[in-house]
Amino acid sequence: MTTTEVLNRTEASTDRRVPSARQGRDKRKPLRPSSIIAFVILAVLAILWLLPFAWAIVTSLKSEADAGATPVTWIPEGGFTLDAYTSVLSEGNIPQWAFNSVFTSIVITAVSVAISALAAYAFSRINFAGKKWLFYLTIASIIVPPQMLIVPLFYQMLAFDMVDTYAGIILPQLIHPAIVFILKQFFDQVPIELEEAARVDGASRMRVFLQIVMPLSRPILAAVSIFVFVGAWNNFLWPFIVTNDASLMTLPVGLQTVQSAFGVQYAQDMASAVLAALPLIIVFLFFQRQIIKGFATTGFGGQ
Amino acid sequence: MKHTNSAFEKSTTGLSRRTVLTGGAALLGGVLLPSTLSGCSAIAAGGVEQLKFWHLLSGGDGIKMNALVQQANDEFSDEFNATQTVLTWGTPYYTKLAMASVGGRAPELAVMHATRVAGYAPGGLLDEWDLDILAEEGVTEETFLPRVWEKGVMDGKLYSVALDTHPFIMMFNTEHAEAAGLLDSSGKLPAMSSPDEFLEVARAMQGVTGVHGLSYGFLNDGAQMWRLFYTLYAQHGAEMKLEVGKEVEYDMDAAVDSLTFIQSLLDGTITAQTGDYGTAVSEFVSGDSGLFFTGVWELPTMVNAELPVDAQVIPTLYGTPATYADSHAFVLPHQNNPDEAKRRDTYRFVASILKNSISWAEAGHIPSYQPIVESPAYGELIPQIHYAEAAQQVVFDPAAWFSGSGSDFQAYFAENVQNVFLGREDPQQGMEGFIRRLNIMLNRPNPLESA
Amino acid sequence: MTTTPQLNRAQGIGPSALNRRDGRVPNQARRRDTLHGWAFAAPFVIAFLLFLVWPIIYGFYLSLTGQSITGANSELVGFENYGEAFRDGDVWRSLGNTLWFTVLSTVPLVLVALILALLVNLGLPGQWLWRLAFFAPFLLASTVVSLFWIWMYNPQLGLVNSILGGQTAWLTDSNTAMISVVITTVWWTVGFNFLLYLAALQNIPEQQYEAASLDGAGKWRQLFSITIPQLAPTTLVIVILQILASLKVFDQIYIMTGGGPGGATRPIVQYIYETGFTAYRLGYASAVAYVFFAIIVIASVAQMVITSRRGAK
Repeated sequence: MTTTEVLNRTEASTDRRVPSARQGRDKRKPLRPSSIIAFVILAVLAILWLLPFAWAIVTSLKSEADAGATPVTWIPEGGFTLDAYTSVLSEGNIPQWAFNSVFTSIVITAVSVAISALAAYAFSRINFAGKKWLFYLTIASIIVPPQMLIVPLFYQMLAFDMVDTYAGIILPQLIHPAIVFILKQFFDQVPIELEEAARVDGASRMRVFLQIVMPLSRPILAAVSIFVFVGAWNNFLWPFIVTNDASLMTLPVGLQTVQSAFGVQYAQDMASAVLAALPLIIVFLFFQRQIIKGFATTGFGGQ
Repeated sequence: MKHTNSAFEKSTTGLSRRTVLTGGAALLGGVLLPSTLSGCSAIAAGGVEQLKFWHLLSGGDGIKMNALVQQANDEFSDEFNATQTVLTWGTPYYTKLAMASVGGRAPELAVMHATRVAGYAPGGLLDEWDLDILAEEGVTEETFLPRVWEKGVMDGKLYSVALDTHPFIMMFNTEHAEAAGLLDSSGKLPAMSSPDEFLEVARAMQGVTGVHGLSYGFLNDGAQMWRLFYTLYAQHGAEMKLEVGKEVEYDMDAAVDSLTFIQSLLDGTITAQTGDYGTAVSEFVSGDSGLFFTGVWELPTMVNAELPVDAQVIPTLYGTPATYADSHAFVLPHQNNPDEAKRRDTYRFVASILKNSISWAEAGHIPSYQPIVESPAYGELIPQIHYAEAAQQVVFDPAAWFSGSGSDFQAYFAENVQNVFLGREDPQQGMEGFIRRLNIMLNRPNPLESA
Repeated sequence: MTTTPQLNRAQGIGPSALNRRDGRVPNQARRRDTLHGWAFAAPFVIAFLLFLVWPIIYGFYLSLTGQSITGANSELVGFENYGEAFRDGDVWRSLGNTLWFTVLSTVPLVLVALILALLVNLGLPGQWLWRLAFFAPFLLASTVVSLFWIWMYNPQLGLVNSILGGQTAWLTDSNTAMISVVITTVWWTVGFNFLLYLAALQNIPEQQYEAASLDGAGKWRQLFSITIPQLAPTTLVIVILQILASLKVFDQIYIMTGGGPGGATRPIVQYIYETGFTAYRLGYASAVAYVFFAIIVIASVAQMVITSRRGAK
């Protein structure tokens, strides 16, 4: 299955303004009993799936005393409060970690998509010596699990004196061979006429790439960027290995590694988790269609 | 593939990559940046050295340590400002500390268990303390008990300065003891000098509570199993020696005897058969038992619960007084380029905490700094003074690069001996498995030391 | 200059054809292409060599040494580490845990995803909400997911025991720890497979259903005679992706159970981490990492063989 086909499929599945024939038909009909049963099952499943969120949010809005009280209740005796959030934001490292997460994820996304696009363009359009084996090497490296590299990479970071630095977090996360492959597949399918015309008019390759190819590729670039960004934002293992200094940790690493000096504080734990979850969930609420399409594209594209 | 472009163009009307990223960034920036910036401005105060201080103390200990740090920061507010990072107790903490030291950007100061220093110092993970600078701050060898000070010395160099000794002791519920008719006129339990005498007292307690006589949690907790085992083992006058390249030197009879006694405790009447740490604490707190084998650090829990509690060392049941303990000790994690001014302030900071460690004693620990122990204020701390003698008779983990609190060593003990505790395996078999595991470790070179 | 008619063919005419029109010698053009090609690929290639190719080579070299985290004992020891790995019960145990996790997680991650996608694809009202509910967890970091579920599973204060009753210590009891982690994983990542299924479902031609309807086939028959067979290629992709992802499990297990109780849930990646960074033995950890890599390669090759066979049919 090619990337483009997937894009089209997900397009159909996610764009409610262009309903598929089947969806349209179902909507015109009144709900049959079997549909009502299906609806109930779906609703129950959705509630199950949302329960951990709800429980975390409710806990985060309790006082510590209520959060630790038995029996477990949804409505706290002492009423809801924002105390957990205010203390987490004022005392803890959360703002610093959030900044680190945003900063490293944006740099990783921008740089890795840029270098992947350049390489993919070369693979797609330029007949250079060594291209074949370089491309095979790139494809083959897709199977390398990043987890197996933690030891040599850490040792390498020691040699570069990059342990506990932003560079140490970012650099090893820049390579995404699968993204190169997906972009190359896309470029292969972009008609070449425009580029050739521009080349004949004397435009340099870089200019063609930046002014013609890039604008045409915005949707696929958005798709892979979403994929890389979410991956970097949520990455745990590598930042966990390379950062020890609490002020350099990303959100996922900091939340796991650093404790409160005051012991277990359930409401604050949940408030931190909710704060860490919030940015991507909010972005998702606004851009559901695009994000889903991005994931479906890259998900199949890797194959 | 002519349809390619139309499909993409349609979707671009909705959003571009830039919109997503800018939107997300703006959103986050709006929410979080203000507080980040305010955090930065606090750090920018001029002339004051920022000291990074790592430790693994949370709960009651964490609260006390936080107060000590604030006190030092206030006292020397124009010189330094120490900020704490608290990591999860045990393996996660020690792994990070080692990685930070190797990485060269370690914190200025950290707390380690004294028993872990042997695994760190030879590999160059720790920098040594300068005795002259310590002396300038009033911290000298004479201000510590010899056993405690020497624990920090390796190859003639001082690598750790002990803050406390925290032994594994026995607490008892005074009301239950009174009801069982166990207390003498000075409110002490009768002397117990044999296993049978101990069992008698425990049974008397059980008679009062109707549930259990003794609380002791060990399930899935190598540290807890080891603490009791090694106390009893050492009371036999037995030792354990771990030397790389040799087999473990140990006393099987003493080990089997100790494990057999532990099995007799865990009979479901005297003690719950399968209690974990938390269950044991809550059992004792709720009054369902009269005796409690635990670390001194649980004292604040009892005080908060307003439990009528007293404490003593675990009675000497086999002739030789011995109490398992460890020390929280200050170390200088290795830095590639230590900042001299920060180093100097670190000494001052440590000295300040030692000199204020009377509040640390309130959390149950026995302070290492003798001027505190000798002070009248310490003499008034009850029940702390009732187990202060522990410091004289402490036994630490057998030294090796892989032993110590929260180490693999204690995990191996749990793996091999938990079934003995649970009565599912013969003590000798379990012990042999543990020794085999240790011999495998000793067969290998210390990974941190060049052969 | 204007575009010539021949150039309208979308593919097949590379830049070299263009060069020839310029009247340059092909050899020269080729040299220029090589320069351009490598220049475009250079940033990626440099990062690729430094942070992927080199660590792979260096990791293999490390696996032949007794190297520790402080740099001590860096002499070559041949394949001694591999020999030790094969004799090391903990390696086998963590491999077993990893495989067990893979089996336990892959089945529900495929089946639940399929059921969710089939239900959502019915076109019932609330599409937006369904997608949010089932896909949103996938966007969370492993730490956040683990924190949520550690709290859900809390024996005294958690929602799970409060709903089911009892005092089960889900994450610290060796009977329930692995299954608890699996449940969390299904909750977390099923959304991705759900999405892929949803995309595939939308692509089944409507005519097939219409033809089946005319033949008198009911909805259930259509499900088993059309939908499921049509989804087969997607299912294959999902199963393969899922197996490969599950074999690499680390985060949620490390955070939720720490590999415990007593190593009962420790996956192989955690064992690599522990031998390398907790026990300081980088050399040995590298050898274990290579054993792990071998398994991933075997799984990947098996995947390629299976997919190419299907393609040949």
